[in-house]
Amino acid sequence: MDGCRSGVPTYEGDLHVVAAAHHIVKALGATKNLSDDLRKILIDLDSHLSMITSNIDSKGGRGLVDVEERLDQAERKIMRWETDPMMIWDSGPKEASDYLEAVDETGKLVDGLRGLSVHENRKQKEILHRAMNIFQTAMSRLEEELIHILVRHGQQFEPKNMYSRSIRKDIVYDESFVSVEDEPTKETSSQNCSNDESGECIVDLVHADVIPDIKSIAKVMFTSNYGPEFCEAFISVQKEALEQYFSFLGTENLSIEDVLKMEWTCLSSKMNKWTWSMKIIVRVYLASEKQLCDQVLGGLGSVSSYCFLEISKATILCLLNFGEAVAMGPHRPEKLLRLLDMYETLADLLRDIDTLFSEEAGSFIQLQFHELLERLGESAIAAFKAFRVAISSNGSLYPFAGGGVHPLNKYVMNYIRMFPEYWNTLNLLLKNQHPGVADQVTKPDYGPDTSLLTSCPMAYHLRSITSCLESNLHKKSQLYKDEALQHIFLMNNIHYLVQKVKGSELRLFFGDEWIRKHNAMFQQHAMNYERATWSSVVSFLKDNNPGSSSMSKSTFKERCKGFSIAFEEVYKTQTSWSIPDPQLREDLRISTSLKVVLAYRTFLGRNLAYTDDKCVKHTVEHVENSLLDLFGGSSRSLRNSRRW
Amino acid sequence: MTGTDQSSFLGRISIRRNQVNAMEGYHEQEIEDLELFQRQLSDRFTELLSAPDDAPTEAFLSISWIRKLLDVFLCCETECKAILLMERDAAQISKPPLDRLIPELLERVVKAMDICNAVTNGVELVRHCQKLAEIAVSALEQKPFGEGQARRAKKALVSLMSAMHVDDKESSVQKTAERSWSFGRRSGNKDRHHGHYRSLSWQVAKHWSASKQIHAMTMNLAAPRGPEASCLPAPVYILSLIIVFVMWVLIAAIPCQERSGLTTHLPINKHVNWTHSLAGIHDKIGEEWKKKEKKGMAGLLYEMQKMEKLGQSLIEFTDSYQFPGEKEKSDEVAAQVAELAEVCRRMDEGLVPLQMLIREAFHRLVRNRTEFLDVLEQGAPVV
Repeated sequence: MDGCRSGVPTYEGDLHVVAAAHHIVKALGATKNLSDDLRKILIDLDSHLSMITSNIDSKGGRGLVDVEERLDQAERKIMRWETDPMMIWDSGPKEASDYLEAVDETGKLVDGLRGLSVHENRKQKEILHRAMNIFQTAMSRLEEELIHILVRHGQQFEPKNMYSRSIRKDIVYDESFVSVEDEPTKETSSQNCSNDESGECIVDLVHADVIPDIKSIAKVMFTSNYGPEFCEAFISVQKEALEQYFSFLGTENLSIEDVLKMEWTCLSSKMNKWTWSMKIIVRVYLASEKQLCDQVLGGLGSVSSYCFLEISKATILCLLNFGEAVAMGPHRPEKLLRLLDMYETLADLLRDIDTLFSEEAGSFIQLQFHELLERLGESAIAAFKAFRVAISSNGSLYPFAGGGVHPLNKYVMNYIRMFPEYWNTLNLLLKNQHPGVADQVTKPDYGPDTSLLTSCPMAYHLRSITSCLESNLHKKSQLYKDEALQHIFLMNNIHYLVQKVKGSELRLFFGDEWIRKHNAMFQQHAMNYERATWSSVVSFLKDNNPGSSSMSKSTFKERCKGFSIAFEEVYKTQTSWSIPDPQLREDLRISTSLKVVLAYRTFLGRNLAYTDDKCVKHTVEHVENSLLDLFGGSSRSLRNSRRW
Repeated sequence: MTGTDQSSFLGRISIRRNQVNAMEGYHEQEIEDLELFQRQLSDRFTELLSAPDDAPTEAFLSISWIRKLLDVFLCCETECKAILLMERDAAQISKPPLDRLIPELLERVVKAMDICNAVTNGVELVRHCQKLAEIAVSALEQKPFGEGQARRAKKALVSLMSAMHVDDKESSVQKTAERSWSFGRRSGNKDRHHGHYRSLSWQVAKHWSASKQIHAMTMNLAAPRGPEASCLPAPVYILSLIIVFVMWVLIAAIPCQERSGLTTHLPINKHVNWTHSLAGIHDKIGEEWKKKEKKGMAGLLYEMQKMEKLGQSLIEFTDSYQFPGEKEKSDEVAAQVAELAEVCRRMDEGLVPLQMLIREAFHRLVRNRTEFLDVLEQGAPVV
């Protein structure tokens, strides 16, 4: 190609020099105060130069013919595609390189002829315009080819392969705080099986094979000053591809008004989806897009980052606006974990964002991200506070039947069991928040065993939450008329609390001392229960005069009857009570058994003389077996079955 | 807008409130504050109204004019909120009729946020037009000029015109969004250039309509009467009206999703002094809108109007151009190209800052809403 070029310059070069000299001479001649001698020399020179020019022109006619021939050739190559239904780059590498060669040739001819145009020559001018016309056709065609290549070889990737929807706390607690009466959904043990969550994952958005083609088109268009057209076409296709991918992820544009009015379950799944899409869009899609821009437009200064920004801006703003809408919505407690997910995702992505949009033009996007992060943090704190308020203000009008584990307790404990996963974030956000309510309770007097975890901000807040919960449970226990049931209720609930803490990472934050204290608490309630229920029953069996050997028969009969009635009454009531934890139920039965059965056996043993069938309604074994029926959650009666 | 104006105003309210809070004469002070505020409002809108219709810079509805309008909006918003909330007992805000007026205001605020986002998308479209016009300018400025350059310019200008004139109805958006790329030779390429700015990201949401939002925002927007006109309902009304008005201007000026049927009648109470200039601006824009609406258009933004006119005329030129071209025509065209280049330059300077300012207004509305909600929460009777 370069060899061809020298053909024009010999001719062009001569013409150039002469034209320039002629120009200078004419300019000098126009100067007013010249000496006559000098003027004469210039006039001579002028006529001399005119002669040379006409000499060259007669030779140059030949040069122009050369140029015209070369243009004809290039034109044929370029124009034949205008009627061909095939796309050039689809037709094969040979066709593509031939075309580029023809474009290059035309470009050179245009440049060469332009250099000549000082010299007014009709023929030259005509050829130049023809060349420029052909050149425009070629550029227009290249733009089409570019779009075609980008669209045809654009590749969509499956998001599933990128991030296994690794929402670690996926299914848990989507129900709202209000619907606290439901049994919480079982936590699925979906582990965070992400493939290197922090690692960037770059895919080829456009097939790698065609990158050199795109680059070659970029090179031609940019060197010919058709850069803006290239950018517009490139941005247009890539922007649309991103938008299509965005909707392929199942993300749709929502107005803020829509988001604010959305039902919780729906909003929760959208928040989930946002977290997931945000990661894929930023870490995979945009990172890949950035790479594509750099590959194609790398050597062209800020062009690459300009295109990248234009392609991604609208989609990014869509994502940001959803985040804003969520952050400004009502701060309901159930939103907390989702908000924390969003917060963590965003915090995690900030570095990526800062790199992707590092140029000045992208600082707008950077700023928006930082602002949203702040807003999500505020919103999470507000939801956290709302959570505690909701716990303390959760009121009941009626006692919870059976004295089992209250749904509020289940809700709260299962919810806060998730907190350790957000340990760092919560600590960061709660650092300057005072737990407020029940501050004393949360002060750790743990002495030397105070570890780092039990004294971190989250630990304070956790203990503050459970103490809120405890006082609410105490309030709820007051709704029972039966003192024994109050104790069963508190025993059950505190036991549940402790179990939840012990059985999860929460124990690290609550500490052994807290656990010991609360173990003692529910055991105390168990003892209180026994006293409240069984003291009066067992009192029938007590020997009032320990000195004398036995009581009168009538006293015995009366005691026996009293015991039977009291025992049957307890049986009837307490079979309907419930102790959901089997171990706890077992323990309480054993200790009750120890107390009651032992007393009954002693009582009967002491009064063997009177123990005929008629007045001893229940044998020791009956009593022992009957005790096993207690706390089963369904009421039973001993009345109708006088005999076993 | 001078910063000192505002800070002195805010300082004044703050000092007053501290001094006279809970004392006799509190109400009189409030009335005085409100009057001062309204005088300032009146001045600001008078200044905006006095902008020339056609001028190289700062013309009525130009980018720089809209930036000024947004500055005024931000100032008013701050001051109005100061009058309403600063040093005030939360209980006052939650009493009738404010317990109704404030939630209504907040609903308008939410709608205004969506409008801000819609208009932000619209500014993107304007920037796209700017890029196309720049291509046309650079082609038309080429020396020597020939048919090749004329064709290049025409291609850009035709794209520019169709980008401007695609109507903002949803149907067309969907058509664009659902259109699949054609792999065949040169089919489906026609609307590519403007299509992508009207595709998915152009939408605020499905079925969202800017004109319906404005309509909803004007519902229940009535000037307080009688004794209410001089106390708290007054600033609530002022703030509401200014939000609605500014959003309405943005929608009229900058293309955005679904503007057909945009009302040209905002419920402005013309019986109070401060609204005179505001009403003047409103009437002027309303008239323009009525004239232009039927044609299907890019919006009343001064630069876009100018671009549309120049673009049309330059298309005619490129259409009829034949090498070597007429001498006398070229001067006229050169002047138009220079003018178009100037419009591009102003867009280049102004659009990004405008977009940021709209975003700032958006964030301000978000904060504003949070503050009101906090106060309402404080003032809410304890259950």
